[in-house]
Amino acid sequence: MFKLNLKIALRNLWKNKTSSFINVIGLAIGLAACLMLLLYVSYEWNFDKQAKNWKNVYMAMTNVPGEGNKIAGTFNGSTTALGPLLKQNLPEVKYVARMDYGKKSLIANGQNSYKKDSKFAEPDILKMYDYQFISGDPKTALQNPLSVILTESTAKTLFGTVDVLSKSVRYQDKENLTITGVVKDLPENSSNRFDFLMPWSFYEIVDPSAKELNWNNYSFVTMVSLNPDANIDLVNRKVEALVKANTPQTPQSQPHFLYQTSKLHLFGKFENGKPAGGDIEQIWLFMGLAFGILLIACINFMNMATAKSEKRAKEVGIKKTIGANRTSLIFQFLTESMVLTLVAVVMAIALLEICLPAFNGLLNINLGISYFNTASWIGILGIVIATGLIAGSYPAFYLSSFNPIQTLKRNIKSRGILTVSLRQVLVIGQFCFAIILIISTLVIYRQIQYIKNKPVGFDVNALVEIPQDGELKTKFDLFKTEMLKSGAVTSMYQSSVSLSHRGRNFMDMKWDGMTNPQNTVMFNQVATSYDFIKTNGIKLLQGRDFSKNFASDTSAVMVSASAVKVFGYKNPIGKKVIVFGSNAHIVGVFDDYVWDSPYKSNNPQVVYLTTGQTGVITMRLNNSNNLQSNIETINKITKAFNPAYPTEITFINSLYQEKYKSEKTLGILSNLFGGLAIFVSCLGLFGLVAYSAEQRTKEFGVRKVLGASVANLMQLLSLSFIKMIVAAIIVAVPISYFAMGKWLNNFEFHTEISWWIIPVAALGTLSMALITVSFQAYKTAKANPVDALKYE
Amino acid sequence: MIQLNNIEKYYANKGVKSYILRHVTTTIKQGEFVSIMGPSGAGKSTLLNIIGMLEEPTYGTYEFLGEDVTTLNERKRIELYRNHIGFVFQAYHLIDEMTVYENIEAPLLYKKIGSSERASRIADLLDRFNIVAKKDLFPNQLSGGQQQLVGIARALAAQPSIILADEPTGNLQSAQADEIMNLFKKLNQEDGITIIQVTHSEKNATYGNRILHIADGVVKDDVKVIV
Repeated sequence: MFKLNLKIALRNLWKNKTSSFINVIGLAIGLAACLMLLLYVSYEWNFDKQAKNWKNVYMAMTNVPGEGNKIAGTFNGSTTALGPLLKQNLPEVKYVARMDYGKKSLIANGQNSYKKDSKFAEPDILKMYDYQFISGDPKTALQNPLSVILTESTAKTLFGTVDVLSKSVRYQDKENLTITGVVKDLPENSSNRFDFLMPWSFYEIVDPSAKELNWNNYSFVTMVSLNPDANIDLVNRKVEALVKANTPQTPQSQPHFLYQTSKLHLFGKFENGKPAGGDIEQIWLFMGLAFGILLIACINFMNMATAKSEKRAKEVGIKKTIGANRTSLIFQFLTESMVLTLVAVVMAIALLEICLPAFNGLLNINLGISYFNTASWIGILGIVIATGLIAGSYPAFYLSSFNPIQTLKRNIKSRGILTVSLRQVLVIGQFCFAIILIISTLVIYRQIQYIKNKPVGFDVNALVEIPQDGELKTKFDLFKTEMLKSGAVTSMYQSSVSLSHRGRNFMDMKWDGMTNPQNTVMFNQVATSYDFIKTNGIKLLQGRDFSKNFASDTSAVMVSASAVKVFGYKNPIGKKVIVFGSNAHIVGVFDDYVWDSPYKSNNPQVVYLTTGQTGVITMRLNNSNNLQSNIETINKITKAFNPAYPTEITFINSLYQEKYKSEKTLGILSNLFGGLAIFVSCLGLFGLVAYSAEQRTKEFGVRKVLGASVANLMQLLSLSFIKMIVAAIIVAVPISYFAMGKWLNNFEFHTEISWWIIPVAALGTLSMALITVSFQAYKTAKANPVDALKYE
Repeated sequence: MIQLNNIEKYYANKGVKSYILRHVTTTIKQGEFVSIMGPSGAGKSTLLNIIGMLEEPTYGTYEFLGEDVTTLNERKRIELYRNHIGFVFQAYHLIDEMTVYENIEAPLLYKKIGSSERASRIADLLDRFNIVAKKDLFPNQLSGGQQQLVGIARALAAQPSIILADEPTGNLQSAQADEIMNLFKKLNQEDGITIIQVTHSEKNATYGNRILHIADGVVKDDVKVIV
């Protein structure tokens, strides 16, 4: 029976080429979208879950108190003192490892030097992550301060081989480290990646301040591995009590809690100290999009199958009279939809292979189908079965319910209003989804344009920055003189952070006339040298830039306009503020500029003058030379100062481009999915019109003989479909208006939904549908009436 | 075998009843070859459909093989179709997607007959109707007469005790029609299969042994055919 059903299903597929094509293509696109998403979701979902006991690995989080007992922010930094305290006093704690955040640092094998991602960590880190050692002993690898663990690819770039145990590499052109281990490259979906890992004991040599257990510097990460049976709520209560008992309590004290490390990636947003979603929302969105497209394709299948019912009804009738029961008929129809889905999934996998590289490039990840993994096949099979069932069940139940005598008498016309309207409802639903996607795409595009066109507060062009490494830290003044002399740059300064930066926020700030005894407003700090404003071109509202002519400028600050607003100073110049407990006077007020997110207003900023805090050198290129010669000159001079380091010149405007990345990705994805949704919907519409035309061939022949024009007939055939699209527009517009309004409200700076977006989306969809319908309608209307009437 | 008591069928349309069948009472015994005749719209096909349980009478009772089948659930009805009733249609109603062989095989599959038994029965039927060479063709590759032969072969495959034929030769040329009618006669006489056919043609009716004349939904005449 099954074999025969299968054979008939294949014959049916072959015979009805148009509808098979529409169904297979539609389903293949839907399935490809779905599979792609499944890959993406499993990639994101398995973030930081590679280690055997990932469930027990926690990260210490810090709550930052804000105004009125609220918690202003939560971040994953902690102090050097926290880790040892937890280890000594909490019985549930198995391992503790303090780490730094990691940065790019120089590692060299002789002349062969590269800047790679480095990290410092305590040895227990190796017990939390199951790094696979190619060589070396995980027990002793981080014992000696002057040791280093390389990843496989780092070893290969430096030495050309992984057989490098006990060889030595040079760190930051300062210390020689012995290689004590080589590990396999770390998975990409890990938030704790490095190219080489060094012991914490070495960090205490590099930065002696890390040796003392302090409660002020939150620049470190504390990883904690708990016993598997530990109750995290209980542990967190203990952590809070422990920290309270061991530190002096002020309103600015920052309480800690432990948070599962693997959750940080998708559930990393906190509101008032409580987890409040995060990137998981984006995952839901992508999931909705892909399943939406798959559903559209399934609806196509259902619509085509029920539209064909007149043809199939006869078959159902005959089979019933020769002894088929309903179950066997349902099975037959489901077999057909399964066969179709199987064909589609093969195409989908091919499609996926073609599109994955582009998709990977778009999201900057590396996904691939693992063909030898049972789980992925089970996943694919699951989707196929689910799709086949969803697409096939309605037609199967609908068709198999036909009464034999009605079908044999060709009496199917009396299908009843209900089933016909269900088909219409499905088509309207499809187009609703498509229109919502189009409107969303347009709004997202407008929002990105709006933010892009919003001035960042200074001229980002012709500005470059280089990291302040090695000799550049100590010989900055000489470097500056040489640079200016070369004529490649017109001015430059050093600062603790780049113009575009995150973090470095603080609250230890006092000013005259404060209402609260303690400040609760977050300020941002930038430590810089002379020529700050001159170089970056930020608008100076009052006062002046730091100047060598004023010796007192060592205790001077420049503040942003929003900082002045917080202070409440009418004439801020010369007024006193206390930053980190030391007195300073305001010499200049500059306009707020975008340094963090371009979507919201950034914290008030304080800029002070110090030579101690190095980080980045920002330069304004000399416009009278060409770009290339400027860059070459910078390269040459930097190399002369810092022969061990490769020079990395970054253009500030590319840094600002980065800021739009996530919304841009969202825009591209919704564009892509919106396009696909429209395409698949139109495919379905085409199929429906084709069938409707086929059914009405005779009627059209008669009408033509009676004198109907081509236009009359086209109108006749198109009108009912166009009505459905109009209905879809009416439903979709308010939904998308509401949803996108809500989305826009997520951004402090946002555009309004322009009036023209809705007619553009509506007319666009309508004309797409019209083209689809009229193509078929024209073909039918032009046909020779004799051909049509010869049928009977 | 078939006992119809006071069968009525009407459609109510806006309170007006339009009768198709009125007070039909008759008995058909095992082994009979009955032809139902009458003008268009007399209710012949409706009567046959009621006998075939494709339609339900609005009033009256119907016993098939001594069992009341006036209202029957779908499962029991299909059970009867599988074991006792074979249908032959004017428009042949072969399944277009199946070959000749598969069309004949289909009822056997539904009856869950083993594959070797199936093969032998089909081979037998193909042989008997001289369509062995056509077994891998699709219905649209056959002439009308050949299609009807396949239709009858399909009806016979499940070895029914009764064949219901609705104008089996209505779409055929006379030579082919004679062939089909001779086949029916042979099936009736040699295999003892009960046959009920609806026909327009006096000539076809003479192949049987009893004629029911119907006009305006009423049985006007019930005559034995004397050969």
